Amino acid sequence: MRRAKWTPYLLLVPSLFYLALFFLYPMTQAFGLAFSRETQTLSLRAEPVESAATTGALELQTEVVVLDRQQLDETLPNGGTRPSFWYLIQGTDLAGETVEGWASQRSIFIENRRTSETARVTGGEATREWTFEHVNRMLTDFRFSSAISTTLLLMVLIIPAQFVLAIIMALVLQSQVRGSSMFLYIYAIPLGISDLVAGILWFAIFTQRGFLNSLMVSAGLIDLPFIFIRAENISWMISIIVLAEIWRATSIVMIIVVSGLQAIPKDYLEAGEVFGASMWQRLRHIILPLLKPSLQVALILRTILAFQVFAVVIAITGGDILTVLSNETFRWYDPARFNNPSVAAVYAGFIMIVSLAISLFYMRAVRSQDEATKSAT
Amino acid sequence: MNTKIRLSLMALAAMALVVPPALSQEDPVTFISTQFNVVEEAERARAIVQAFGSGVEFVVSEEGPAIDLLRAEAQSGQGVQDVMGALHGTFPTLAGEDLLFDLTDLLADIEASADINDAYVELGRMGTEDFQYYVPWMQATLTMAANNEALQYLPEGADINALTWDQMAEWAQAMFDATGEAKMGLPVAGLIHRFMQGYMFPSFTGGMVTQFNSPEAAEMLAFLRDDLWPYVNPQSISYAFMNEPLLSGEVWVAFDHVARLKPAFDQAPEDFIAFPAPAGPAGRGFMPIVAGLGIPYTTGDVAAAEDLIRYMLSPEVQAQVLEQLGFYPVIGEVDVASLPAGAALQAAAVAAQSASEDGIPSLLPVGLGARGGEINEIYINTFTRVIIDGEDIQTVLDSEAERLQALLNETGASCWAPDPASEGPCQIATGGM
Repeated sequence: MRRAKWTPYLLLVPSLFYLALFFLYPMTQAFGLAFSRETQTLSLRAEPVESAATTGALELQTEVVVLDRQQLDETLPNGGTRPSFWYLIQGTDLAGETVEGWASQRSIFIENRRTSETARVTGGEATREWTFEHVNRMLTDFRFSSAISTTLLLMVLIIPAQFVLAIIMALVLQSQVRGSSMFLYIYAIPLGISDLVAGILWFAIFTQRGFLNSLMVSAGLIDLPFIFIRAENISWMISIIVLAEIWRATSIVMIIVVSGLQAIPKDYLEAGEVFGASMWQRLRHIILPLLKPSLQVALILRTILAFQVFAVVIAITGGDILTVLSNETFRWYDPARFNNPSVAAVYAGFIMIVSLAISLFYMRAVRSQDEATKSAT
Repeated sequence: MNTKIRLSLMALAAMALVVPPALSQEDPVTFISTQFNVVEEAERARAIVQAFGSGVEFVVSEEGPAIDLLRAEAQSGQGVQDVMGALHGTFPTLAGEDLLFDLTDLLADIEASADINDAYVELGRMGTEDFQYYVPWMQATLTMAANNEALQYLPEGADINALTWDQMAEWAQAMFDATGEAKMGLPVAGLIHRFMQGYMFPSFTGGMVTQFNSPEAAEMLAFLRDDLWPYVNPQSISYAFMNEPLLSGEVWVAFDHVARLKPAFDQAPEDFIAFPAPAGPAGRGFMPIVAGLGIPYTTGDVAAAEDLIRYMLSPEVQAQVLEQLGFYPVIGEVDVASLPAGAALQAAAVAAQSASEDGIPSLLPVGLGARGGEINEIYINTFTRVIIDGEDIQTVLDSEAERLQALLNETGASCWAPDPASEGPCQIATGGM
């Protein structure tokens, strides 16, 4: 009996371990990044060695006077030596007191190591403290609100269209008409293409000297290429992104819908037919209600993916004029740009909270109806 | 959740990009470079570096992972990297953490037989007097390029090697009027921040930082918004590298980094000309970009590392780097006469730009350490908010100036050229706070 009691928990262990390692740990790290800040203070030493007692502490950027210096020969890991300097410096600490002590060249900026008489504190020991500074930076960033509105707009435009298309595609596959299995392969092609490639592909179609413009110019429809990708009219860029995303990611919804359709017992549909239900009535009253669990899964998946839309936007718009939340996360994270993982972590957390909230909403909204139909049948 | 995983994976992937040097070689000299990260460039650079001797490894890495690597080596005391090659902007971090040897003696030795650009030697000292953090390695800049088709619309009496921004705007308008298309291109998805920092601000205000929200800066943005942008190809917002729209004929006149224009000059040297950036009321702002070579103090073989640096500074190698990789020599002894046609055109434009009488060389930001990328965002934001979003110029300048001043104060960065030197953090003259 004891063993049977523990078995379920034992079976849970691998997934718990996985969740802890790949979700819980990075999440706590990100939380720490998002809500804490590193500050440095330089501890002054009584003697020119790292282990000596401290005589005071100075903030970064404090201007100090150099009272004395000592040149040591630091032994390097490879056996060689190099000159290493310690300075006796004097400056004013946060409390307004004048403090004095030794600091190594690593912690101060000094113009001339051998002759300068003033220096500036540039390093020290790091301490972390809690802060909302990074949250504030995200909220006050001028791109923040446009990133949210663009992300939501894309979601609202893309997801409904994808679901209608995916259900139609799945029904075509299910209909068993001649050649319907061939459609599966055609529909699945975009699944094998990365989102960046998909973005570049659609960019190549709509760019000034792209396929579409070349076609229209050579067909004599227009004299000069039309520029779709321009800041003055972002609805064109939005439309291209929507097209690219629908093309790229509808088939994943379709696959979920197909598997849902296959789980619907044939008896129900046959019974419907016997009672004279039309194709539309069968779709409305039998197929769609029974598809709800699959649609819920697909909806949650698509919504979470919609918050991660990134490469398609970058490839089509360049990412500066039209921006989305995941692009902002990267802008702050990228070492060549803001190089600020803390604000990036705030963005990541924000995306997670919003996706979580929407997923919970779907689960409640769709489940209650689902249960309602169950009790009705 | 997935976003976070993706970030961690990206970090892991970035670390993996630092290829561990082969262990089979007998203690090779390892040259880690943040430049030439593109595969074909890395191959060409590797061939040049390895001609030094069989035991040389050339490793490319992104800037962040390279710094982390040197940091980790310093902490463990086990060093594999012997020479570090990077843009000037990478060195303040390395210097701040005291990871590099003083190369004063090596530099004096090299200067005995070569004439190294003095301004760059000075930069390599990072504001100190007696510590040479790096030896200048190579330089690049951003220039203009034009399709020969565009030349017929050049305003009358304009000298292409001494254009003003007003003439540039006239030219762009003339091309628009004649063809119905906006034929000027700017890399808005690329190096637009360099365009603002090193070209527009200095040309109109004489400085990059101290005059940030001055009336002259407002005038500059008004010029950009009202006189130039209407004739700039609207699809510029998606341009990262200008060689592509130049080659496709989408734009006729473009501004970009010489290395990013190079493919156009390599493929069709007879179609294009290169010329210096135009000048504004204050002068001809331009941005020299310098890369340097440093020696991490954890190196296993200082003598070999020094020899490799001497080799990289030899006229033959400097000429090879120019011809194959598009970076310009930092020494005076390089013979550019035998260059291929395209490279010669670009070299002439670079020389004309840096020798121009009204030139205002504007350096990459100095002393911002790990927050070096943040200043670029301030200039990108300024451009986007005024030119694209149409916000009020002075409002934008004042609010971005406040952020710029905060950044300077927090990092303690003193002014760099062309702004006059400062005691303590650089201050925006017209009141940043």
